[in-house]
Amino acid sequence: MSVPSVFVAKERLKNLLISDRMQCTPDAADRLEKDLYLTVSKYMEITPEHFDIKISRSDIHIRYTGENK
Amino acid sequence: MGEVIVITSGKGGVGKTTTTANIGIGLSGLGKKVLVIDTDLGLRNLDVVMGLENRIVYNIVDVIEGSCRLKQALIKDKRFPELYLLPSAQTKDKTSISPEQMKKLIEDIRDDFDYILLDCPAGIEQGFQNAIAGADRSIVVTTPEVSAIRDADRILGLLEASGIRKNELLINRLRIDMVKRGDMMSVDDVTEILAVDLLGVIPDDEQVVIATNQGEPVVGEDSLAGKSYMNICRRLLGEDIPMEDYMKPEGFLGKLSSLFHRN
Repeated sequence: MSVPSVFVAKERLKNLLISDRMQCTPDAADRLEKDLYLTVSKYMEITPEHFDIKISRSDIHIRYTGENK
Repeated sequence: MGEVIVITSGKGGVGKTTTTANIGIGLSGLGKKVLVIDTDLGLRNLDVVMGLENRIVYNIVDVIEGSCRLKQALIKDKRFPELYLLPSAQTKDKTSISPEQMKKLIEDIRDDFDYILLDCPAGIEQGFQNAIAGADRSIVVTTPEVSAIRDADRILGLLEASGIRKNELLINRLRIDMVKRGDMMSVDDVTEILAVDLLGVIPDDEQVVIATNQGEPVVGEDSLAGKSYMNICRRLLGEDIPMEDYMKPEGFLGKLSSLFHRN
């Protein structure tokens, strides 16, 4: 069985909207996420699993969850 | 003072004009005094969808240029209580009107109506800027397709940037069968991706095509789309109408009745 086409659509759309919202390539969005992670990690103990970035139409939300072990 | 709502989408062909006509007619049926304005200069269509194309004398550009009074350009739809159309101009282009002129026109007339609906052209150029200039809130129409949702996101960004705070989504032409088999994005998928409040969902319904052929509305009719449009109108009036659940599995009675109707 192939993947339902809706998964492909959602994945494409998510990438498309991030690059539209930032007016940049998907690759630049990836780099931004990595840079933000590195920057925050200089000041706080974080792990990639507990770190999440969401780019909306007007804000960039940085979210970290859970106590670090 | 009337509320001014722009119906927009970015992408063309997703159902802005059909939505404007049906919401206008629905609100009028619920006792409101409604004006619908076609702001698509050069591509006049709202009159055709409403079946009023043979009654146009003057248009919005005539009003703004002062060639006629507003009352002369308004077409009263005699089938419904208190419903008026201000048609677009077929032979002018989008630069014939400025956003400032549009804003002034709306300020001048908003006290005379309960609702003013603006049918916005596709695109994000001056026609769009004209249409949103005087609006208090928006209805962003999309279909559950990648290209339409992408454009809706862009439009939502532009609306937010222009200071319009109340922007709600209308998902049009939802194919319930395709969502069920995983080949179309669901209502939840679309609202999650766009992060915006949902005003309503119109299922794909051939009655819309049939009604549009005849210049008739579907709102208020006993069809899926007709009921959904009426619910949207009631939500606009502030009534607490729950979203229709198109995904619920067919109940026992439904199965039983399809069994009887098979032959």
